[in-house]
Amino acid sequence: MPTLDELSVDFDGRFQLNNINWTIAPGQHWLIAGANGSGKSALAAVLAGEGDRLSGTVSGLPGNVALVSYERQAELIAAELRKDDADILDVISEGTPVAEIIADVCLDAELAQTLVATLGLESLMDRAFRKLSTGETRKVMLVRALTSRPELLVLDEPFDGLDHDSLNWLQDYLAKLAETTPMVIVLNRFDECPDFITHVAYVEHGQLLQQVNRTDEGAFGELHQLLHLKTSEREIPMADPAIELPPLNPDEPLVQMTGVTVRYTDNTVFENLSWTIEPNRHWQVSGPNGSGKTCLLSLITGDHPQCYVNNIKVFGFQRGTGESIWQIKQYIGYVSTALQWEYRVGTGLRNVIISGFFDSIGLYTTSTDTQKAIADKWLDVLGMSGWADEPFNRLSFGEQRLALIARAMVKHPPLLILDEPCLGLDDMNRQLVLALIERICLSGETTVLYVNHRLEDSIQGIDDHLVLG
Amino acid sequence: MANYFNTLPLRMQLAELAKCRFMHLNEFTEGVDALKGKKMVVIGCGAQGLNQGLNLRDSGLDVSYALRDAAISEQRQSWKNATENGFTVGTYDELLPTADVVLNLTPDKQHTNVVNTIMPMMKQGACLSYSHGFNIVEEGMQVRDDITVIMVAPKCPGSEVRAEYVRGFGVPTLIAVHEDNDPNGEGLAMAKAYAVGTGGHKAGVLMSSFVAEVKSDLMGEQTILCGMLQTGSLLCFDKMIEEGIDAGYASKLIQYGWETVTEALKYGGVTNMMDRLSNPAKIRAFDLAEQMKDIMRPLYEKHQDDIMTGAFSSGMMADWANDDAKLLGWRADTAQTAFEKTEAGDVEISEQEYFDNGILMVAMVKAGVELAFETMTAAGIIADSAYYESLHETPLIANTIARKKLYEMNATISDTAEYGCYLYNHACVPLLADFMAGVKSDVIGKGLELDDTGVDNARLIEVNAAIRNHPVEEIGGILRGHMADMKRIV
Repeated sequence: MPTLDELSVDFDGRFQLNNINWTIAPGQHWLIAGANGSGKSALAAVLAGEGDRLSGTVSGLPGNVALVSYERQAELIAAELRKDDADILDVISEGTPVAEIIADVCLDAELAQTLVATLGLESLMDRAFRKLSTGETRKVMLVRALTSRPELLVLDEPFDGLDHDSLNWLQDYLAKLAETTPMVIVLNRFDECPDFITHVAYVEHGQLLQQVNRTDEGAFGELHQLLHLKTSEREIPMADPAIELPPLNPDEPLVQMTGVTVRYTDNTVFENLSWTIEPNRHWQVSGPNGSGKTCLLSLITGDHPQCYVNNIKVFGFQRGTGESIWQIKQYIGYVSTALQWEYRVGTGLRNVIISGFFDSIGLYTTSTDTQKAIADKWLDVLGMSGWADEPFNRLSFGEQRLALIARAMVKHPPLLILDEPCLGLDDMNRQLVLALIERICLSGETTVLYVNHRLEDSIQGIDDHLVLG
Repeated sequence: MANYFNTLPLRMQLAELAKCRFMHLNEFTEGVDALKGKKMVVIGCGAQGLNQGLNLRDSGLDVSYALRDAAISEQRQSWKNATENGFTVGTYDELLPTADVVLNLTPDKQHTNVVNTIMPMMKQGACLSYSHGFNIVEEGMQVRDDITVIMVAPKCPGSEVRAEYVRGFGVPTLIAVHEDNDPNGEGLAMAKAYAVGTGGHKAGVLMSSFVAEVKSDLMGEQTILCGMLQTGSLLCFDKMIEEGIDAGYASKLIQYGWETVTEALKYGGVTNMMDRLSNPAKIRAFDLAEQMKDIMRPLYEKHQDDIMTGAFSSGMMADWANDDAKLLGWRADTAQTAFEKTEAGDVEISEQEYFDNGILMVAMVKAGVELAFETMTAAGIIADSAYYESLHETPLIANTIARKKLYEMNATISDTAEYGCYLYNHACVPLLADFMAGVKSDVIGKGLELDDTGVDNARLIEVNAAIRNHPVEEIGGILRGHMADMKRIV
């Protein structure tokens, strides 16, 4: 059976797949999923022998692997065009006719005839391959692959650009073919996943991050959601225009701590710490357990009572001069495991997100239609449309975490504090949360303060680092 | 000192008892302004003292703690609580002379001593605030004329006061101004600002009087809230053991049963709690409750009468003077009861099963709530107060039993409530003895287990009408409606 072991492959120095471990066992049909540029096409192409192996091994690949992909299609057309260039005679080359292109690899003439008829290619058989439209070229590529009696069929976006009838036919045909021929399919749209697919490989940054058995409904659903976050083009919903925060001085730091000490009668958490957070400088805070990470954050949020006996200025307020914590919290979005423990409510998911406008746990005031609409847009971004009234406490831990991040972000706070946002999450949910945070960091207007001690959970765009302990 | 209530003429007694108004959120638009920049000094750093202080400071107010010299020099727990939370701590001498508002959050028992100590130190025109009116109403404390006296009483334990504030909400709060001590007419503004500072305005504020607060609070806590739940727990447990029900099951059914059935009460009153039963069970619970109401009515009346005449408070004060001998003895007895000593079994009991197998408990809650309400209103307390001090608070007390049985309940409530609870229990257990001899495990422990759950239509209509038309349901419907736009949507 095809096995990739610690395999790293280079594609013309443009892209690399790294440390791939993957086995396609008999009877399995795989879907390769991932965002654009994640390496899913590259992984599919490796099965067809593409790329330059850097390390690791590939074994057990059958002799005849058929690959249909845009890259293959482009190569074939490029080859046709080169034929033109090579022709120095001053005649117009017609190029290779479609019939010949198909016959080149065809091992089943009868099947070829049927396919050509079914896909409506008959009238094109004498036409030059390079003169076909993209959709027509794609059909020809499919006929070539299907008639070559492949022992492994690799289809990269096979449904792209097909007209409705052809699409339906192909799906039915593949379903039948799956009984005899193992298949690997690459799809951008997870919703199109054919029923015969048994496993999903999730690729990100050139790595095979997840392998999910389709019978594992929970993992399959989470993967679906992850892909939604990674691939959907939905914008981060706007803030509520009706809620106007008192403006901050853009030249003033968001947070300024000077010689801060937190001490209990029997121990000192930290001493004489000074730290300034300027707007739009994202920070990562790390340190061992007990080094005071959460304590430090709660001095900013105002949840730690000793913020009143230290020199702390947040959002222009010198702490302990008659400001209320709600004046401070209005500028902060906050997510932590502790908050999630606190957030034991049976209220619906939409209300949980709306509660972010009011910095409350639970919702205690009536919300406006605009706020409801914004919350619903967030649910859409999270891939949770239609869950608006789902009781929060019945969601999975990972789903709750995603909703709480949306709650923290719903008002587009100047400062977003994420205290170990991945703590307690499995791999898949960790990917989900990181994907969401990355989208938020890229959106620009929020300064992110990110606490964690797992290096692999780093987030693109966070450059400054505070280490406690 | 003379009992203040007893010094009032009847018409003023009635007028004071009738004070209770649910305030609208838009009456709090001035926020904490009336206290802004004022120096607030808390006396008593227990659960109420510490947590109210935390909330007030987080609302932008200036809060510090005055402790006794010994508490500071010995670094006692109250000193630790205050300093670790970043508060300024000082002696009475250091803080009180400059205080604008002094928050007396010590236990009832210490009030006379505390107030007598601090009054000479307080500056001219300052404000003294209470969380309970016992000292003023029952002990007749006379406060200096220039001092404004107010009450702000969050209707929850201190830990809840803090937890709800942090969630962005608050707990229902009762405020009052002592009319005899409002020299500048600013008592109400300060009480409102204080309620905003603790977050209470978000959950609902009742504008009441010292008198109404004390007389209704004492009645509620002694009878339905703590007394009935304690008596019910002991009787139901012993009955189940007698009927051969597994002790672990019996213990669990009671410990968590009060919380579960009163949760239904909280959402939809007695009607909803009764509606959670099957039709035959509902009729059965109704009949049991009617019987118990007949038996217990004289006891409820006695408690209310003793509260009104001051007999209760003078009895309790005598026990204070006797080093709490009775209270401590009763507390020790409670710890030795079979229910208290039997741990909840590791058995699964579904939410509905608490109703189905706890028909008698439902009946006890119904009887206790209705009797307390009826007795209070008959004594001149208006329905709004009576509702809050009976039905509304029952689930809060039931929650404490769910945590650690009667121990937790009695540890959480005030000594005053605990003393009254034991008084009630000692009278009520023998009072219900004959009644209890007549009930079996079908109403407590096992459920009716009927093959045919049919009932007579006419009888069901009659029972439903009686439940729904009780005055506590009428006022409850209105008050729960008032709170609809401010109650938590969770």
